[in-house]
Amino acid sequence: MDGWKFIRLVQAMRQASVSISSQDIQDAQTCLQRYPYLSEKLITRSILIHRPQDYSIFETVWRIIIEDLTSSERGSEENDRKEMIIENQDSSIGIGGQGVGRGYGGISLTQKGPIVDAVEVSRQIPASRIEELISSGNQFEDCFKAILANIDYYSWINSYDLAYQRGQLIEEEWYQHQNSRDCLLQEIRQLLISVQVTQENSWEPLVRQHWMFKSLSSLTESEKALVKSSIRKWARKLAIRPGFHWVKSRQGTVDITQIVRQSVQWNGVLFRLCFRRRKLRAAELVVLCDISNSMASFVEFLIYLVTCLRDRFRKVRVFFFIDSIWDITNFIWDDDQSFKQEIQSWGHKVSSGFSDYGAVFKEFATKILTDVTARATVVILGDAKNNYRPAQTEYLAQISEHVRKVVWLNPLDTVEWSERDNQMKDYQKYCSKVYRCRSANDLQKVVRDFL
Amino acid sequence: MFTSPLNLAQALEKEGYLIDEETATTLFLSLALKKPCLIEGPAGVGKTQLALALARVVNRRLIRLQCYEGLDINKALYDWNYAKQLLRLQLAKTVEWNEIKDDLYSEEFILSRPLLESILSSEPVLLLIDELDKSDEEFESFLLELLAEFQVSIPELGTLSSKTKPIVILTSNNSRDFSDALRRRCIHIYLGYPSLEREISILASQAPELSEQLIQDVCGFVSRVRKLPLQKLPSVSETIDFARALNVLQKEELNYGELMGTLSVLLKYPKDIAKLEERLKKWESEKRSK
Repeated sequence: MDGWKFIRLVQAMRQASVSISSQDIQDAQTCLQRYPYLSEKLITRSILIHRPQDYSIFETVWRIIIEDLTSSERGSEENDRKEMIIENQDSSIGIGGQGVGRGYGGISLTQKGPIVDAVEVSRQIPASRIEELISSGNQFEDCFKAILANIDYYSWINSYDLAYQRGQLIEEEWYQHQNSRDCLLQEIRQLLISVQVTQENSWEPLVRQHWMFKSLSSLTESEKALVKSSIRKWARKLAIRPGFHWVKSRQGTVDITQIVRQSVQWNGVLFRLCFRRRKLRAAELVVLCDISNSMASFVEFLIYLVTCLRDRFRKVRVFFFIDSIWDITNFIWDDDQSFKQEIQSWGHKVSSGFSDYGAVFKEFATKILTDVTARATVVILGDAKNNYRPAQTEYLAQISEHVRKVVWLNPLDTVEWSERDNQMKDYQKYCSKVYRCRSANDLQKVVRDFL
Repeated sequence: MFTSPLNLAQALEKEGYLIDEETATTLFLSLALKKPCLIEGPAGVGKTQLALALARVVNRRLIRLQCYEGLDINKALYDWNYAKQLLRLQLAKTVEWNEIKDDLYSEEFILSRPLLESILSSEPVLLLIDELDKSDEEFESFLLELLAEFQVSIPELGTLSSKTKPIVILTSNNSRDFSDALRRRCIHIYLGYPSLEREISILASQAPELSEQLIQDVCGFVSRVRKLPLQKLPSVSETIDFARALNVLQKEELNYGELMGTLSVLLKYPKDIAKLEERLKKWESEKRSK
């Protein structure tokens, strides 16, 4: 392998948060020289990648640095052909495309039309179209959805879903469809990242797709498992250095420091035995989670964190809310499924579905606050989007005065806190600390800093 | 030792272990670089079997350390033989203390556990550290010295280096993540469930008494079962057991309607069995309507 390409590959991987040591580089070079008949890609991947979740990053970087350079000689003729395919697809009326605003009509309910093959993605979606989408300032997920709409992905999956529900597809065919769906999505993501990296001339887009930095709401199932595994790890580290502090007591360990201190006051003539005992620093944790649609994906991780940390606190209480509050402390300790079901059933029956923080704080302050001790820490997880309802900050102020600390975790970016229907700026004054809690990385910071 | 990954794959095949090209290449590189190999993957895909087959292929003695929660140095590395030390003290009542105090903490009074055994062994060995994810993080950190330098430090004796570098294979079911430090010292292999074709070959080699039709039916059925959202998916060894169970029942081929009662060989949780029984009815009706 060309040494320059190899160095670029290593640098890119390192920038994308993949840990590569000097020893790894040395080993990879040794193997590449010693076994020239083996696949360079396989050797490099075997030596440099130590985690299964880093394989996709490696694939993307390899594609950009090694494969794209060789395929860059493709002529403009092919590019023109690509443009034509997309234009033809754009002009097909009657496809619909659920949730993408095409506005051409409904979704095809009967025919399972052909879809771009995952292998053909890079040929059939022209780079110019992707560049256009990216340069228009869209977020990654928006560009991704726009491309899916371009290739009629939504009508394709809907037709298959319906065919399966109607029994026109057997399960085996359904699974095959699922597999090709996953491959296609993966391929488009890779293509999109490649173009983004080239356009921005930086590996930052790749870093943003790392599971530690991705929004918790857009994680795949395997990434969710990774985040949960990391949460377990952080919680375990906290559990082995629990936050105790010493308090005076009538019984317990003899407190030599205190005895000496008092004895000095009496010129050392008289002394009185003093005792002390260890006490948990955070006596009580009260968690308030907004579980409206925009928040549901974030709640899962906070609840998981709380579950892992519950031994650290003397008492933990968990409340869910949308426009009113309910206590779910007894449900969350069982398993993931029971509390998810509880969210669904309760949310549908009792709530209007629109968050009302003012009403929730009022309810908490009037009905629940009397049962909460002054040593408690209240953690609020919410985006503070109040749907233009009154903020009623006086109730949050009351809560803040009563308890030791109020910590707010907000999954929105800080720039969004000042949007019109967002009350974060008003609520912020009454919180001891406010964190952005959008990704696993943010969550880790919260754990380190606050807990 | 091996000239190429193909050479390694062929040697393993002779020992009854079928390995794909990618895994063979990674394992080959790990052996060539004399680095520990960390094999991860779901339970029952043949991680431990790979280590066992490799030990037979390279003709090395296998030393196995089974990990579990609470595993510590005394059970993994060494312990002092307290009974023998007491005996030594009793026999040496007349001798000066200074003369015997060093002697008490010599190699003679040490009880070698698997890790120390692999380090001190005069003949080349293969050390299998099985299910490392079950052990605690402290133990994982302790292993770093062994994995990087093939040596261990015992406070009373100092550092002991390996006489013959052992081949080290670590396995994990991914129940917890490992530190970067540990991963960096190993070559990583991820073993997933085998493809349909590979599983057919595995069954044919592991259970030659089964008919070709039955093997194909069972493997096709198991690959369908693995797509279901079950608590525990069937492993390769369970597939073999299931095929053998059908053979005992003198089935020449697999019929969905005749599987009730045999599913417990394949699946281990009542919930999973109930889910599969429900699905079997659907598959059977699909088959009929074809």
